[in-house]
Amino acid sequence: MLEYLPGDTLIHRLDVRTKMLGFAGFLIVSFLFQDPMFQLGIFLSAGLLALWIKIPLRRIWGMMIPLIPIIISIILITGFTFAPERFERDSSQAILFYALPGEGLGATVGGFLMGTTFILRLISMMIVSSVLTLTTSMEDFTQFFQKMKVPAEVVMMLTMAIRFIPTLDKKRRQILEAQKARGTKFKEKGIIGSIRSYLPIMIPLFINSIMMANSLSMAMLNRGYGLTRTWTTLRQLTFNSRDYWTMALIGLGLGMAFYVRFGLQLGVL
Amino acid sequence: MIELEDLSYTYPNASEPSLKNINLSLEKGKFVALLGSTGAGKTTLSLCLTGLIPQLLEGKLSGRVRVAGKDVGKNAVQTLAKVLGLVLQDPETQIIGRSVEEDTAFGPRNFLVPAKEIEQRIDQSLATVRLTGYNQRLTEELSGGEKQRLAIAGVLAMEPEILVLDEPTSELDPLGRSEIYDTLTDLRRKKNLTILLVDHSTEELMDKVDEVVVLNQGELVWRGIPSDLLRNLPLLRRWGIKPLPVSEVGWEFYEKGWISLAEIPLDISSAESLIRGLLPLYGNRPGHPLDGVKYLGKSHNQVQQHGENLRSKREPNHSEKVLAVEIKDLTYQYNSGKSALRGINLTINSGEFLALIGQNGAGKTTLAKHFNGLLQPTSGEVIIEGMNTLRVDTSELAKTVGYVFQNPDHQIFSATVEKELEFGLKNAGYRGSEMKNRVAEVLEYTGLEPYRSVHPFSLGKGERQVIAVASILVLKPKLLIIDEPTTGSDWTGVQTMMALIEKLHSAGTTIIMISHDMDLVAQYAKRVIVMKDGEITLDGTPQEIFSNEEVLRESFLAAPQLCKLSLQLKDVLGPQFFVKASEFLGMFESGEQRGC
Repeated sequence: MLEYLPGDTLIHRLDVRTKMLGFAGFLIVSFLFQDPMFQLGIFLSAGLLALWIKIPLRRIWGMMIPLIPIIISIILITGFTFAPERFERDSSQAILFYALPGEGLGATVGGFLMGTTFILRLISMMIVSSVLTLTTSMEDFTQFFQKMKVPAEVVMMLTMAIRFIPTLDKKRRQILEAQKARGTKFKEKGIIGSIRSYLPIMIPLFINSIMMANSLSMAMLNRGYGLTRTWTTLRQLTFNSRDYWTMALIGLGLGMAFYVRFGLQLGVL
Repeated sequence: MIELEDLSYTYPNASEPSLKNINLSLEKGKFVALLGSTGAGKTTLSLCLTGLIPQLLEGKLSGRVRVAGKDVGKNAVQTLAKVLGLVLQDPETQIIGRSVEEDTAFGPRNFLVPAKEIEQRIDQSLATVRLTGYNQRLTEELSGGEKQRLAIAGVLAMEPEILVLDEPTSELDPLGRSEIYDTLTDLRRKKNLTILLVDHSTEELMDKVDEVVVLNQGELVWRGIPSDLLRNLPLLRRWGIKPLPVSEVGWEFYEKGWISLAEIPLDISSAESLIRGLLPLYGNRPGHPLDGVKYLGKSHNQVQQHGENLRSKREPNHSEKVLAVEIKDLTYQYNSGKSALRGINLTINSGEFLALIGQNGAGKTTLAKHFNGLLQPTSGEVIIEGMNTLRVDTSELAKTVGYVFQNPDHQIFSATVEKELEFGLKNAGYRGSEMKNRVAEVLEYTGLEPYRSVHPFSLGKGERQVIAVASILVLKPKLLIIDEPTTGSDWTGVQTMMALIEKLHSAGTTIIMISHDMDLVAQYAKRVIVMKDGEITLDGTPQEIFSNEEVLRESFLAAPQLCKLSLQLKDVLGPQFFVKASEFLGMFESGEQRGC
């Protein structure tokens, strides 16, 4: 779970709405282009943002490692499953080799390039969303939801869910240890076996969550939750000149991207 | 401030009422303790005060509750929260915000207090609970004591006139506890709050509260000043409230007719002067002070003998030393690289009763988790009954090492007590009649027989604690690790649990107990290990440990009352060091025989 990373860069100081717009901008641009070269550009600019806010590289790396098998399989799958007809350019339609004898299951150049695009897109999105969550406090997000007219109950639910993730994870670990100490084996065979071996974890976890939810509801009432339908906003969202500048920049970038893609017809495969 | 009139309440689906015709009124500015054993109705009563009963929890309520002039029946819980703040038992589920500041602001924000004022209130309430400067800290990273104090701050930020706390210290170490009590004393002095403290320990309360109210099985049975209650041991025993250790010594003197009820000591210094006064009188025929001096020397020898007898009884199988645990140069580091254990060397003989003590975070539990392979050493090795934990799986070690965790609710998942006990046996590969026999045996042994086919969660916390122990005992472990076996239990529960552990110990099981309760450690353990910052700082008998004030202070621990008393009486006791009430009486028993 990536948490707020205190700091004082321009990105930190931007209004949450500006950042959301920027995030959407990245998303749109990334989906405009299929060419991996363009994706590489997007990836690099996302990387620059990440370096700017001094992203904890170790944690990001930790998030990436489990994705490696997925990355490889995506490239392989797209390489073999994208038929040549799906590409506009001749170079992309070229077939590299056939996996099966008799011209069966051909691997297209375009397919592999497409796979690379998917992966770069995935990684860029991960980086950009990390930049967003790392530089924006929970409080700002709640404010944003409120401004977007999301009902207060829903916002509360979201905040609570995020607050209790670490708590429940701790519970899960404690339960796991308690059951291990009683000799529970978690490597039983078959679907039934593996379900059965997780019951000793899941049941106490459910029971504990329900008990916690009960006392939580008491605690919330005790502290006046639900007395009125609103509550004091501690920090008012305000646009600064830097926000207007950034938004103008985002708009400009988007415009250029559209022109390159549809005016010049670049970036397709 | 608080007025209860004929209050009765029955939980939904319960046959017996939890509160019966309670009449009580508390004045402004008083600090009152509400005592009673588990199930006496203490928590129920505090929920009635906030209106959570009957507004959230239904059931049958009769009578009237008025808080600060407001009728609880006619005001919403949230409105009442402005005048009466309730701090519930588990701080974890009371912390709503992700950062300390966010959490403290939660209450006032709901009351639409202007942002400027909220800022002030946050700083003020954090200062009162001694968390100044914690504003931006994440709540999940706080220690248990800090969380508990944050829960109090969250309630204080709403500026209530009455503060009700439900067992705020039950899961804390001695340091954490004293911090909470100091906070309450501060509050009372500075803010003139009315405080109602629900608790079952008494030692720290003695000189802080104005009044004590006792509940027993839903009825208000006693009300008065604390010293009157604490001197009346039969009442305390009947209601399941832990007496002060020094008063137990004093009660024996009272029963012998040596002192009056009012002379029963409630603190160490009065106990000291009492014993000094009694020694010459009852160590010999009264009225012969010179003989008394002579006796003193003689009794000394007898006491010493007495002590030696005790000691030889304590260490049975010393000739056949079998190593239960052998730890060599153990270090352990978290993934973050922070080291939790540093250079631990330890051997534990078979059949020992060992207590691990130390502040929260000292590494006690981390060390204990190495005994059954839940944690693997970063370097060094742990050998349990000849098995190296690096090579033997936890599920295999579980047959030899039993580990009972602090919270029984983390492991209970079966629909009946019997099935819960069978679970471990099934894991170990037992089937059919052998399994049934073992379960029956343990049910009998632990006194759970009447609950055989009852759902574990319909039982009280104390019984669930016993179930957790029983579910480990079916595996007949040679080594039993018990992590805080008595947290949240009342005195009766503590005694049941300790009697069970003592029984296992005398049957030859090696016991390793982690505890914050120094009285228990002194009373039951034969060997004590003090841990601090991942290292063992002291290893010895309870006598040796608890007479070493310096190391204890460095480890943020305090010797139990009776040990402190022993230290005070050093000149009389000489090399002797008593940790049990019975040992103090030993000084006199022999004298009495002479007198007769």
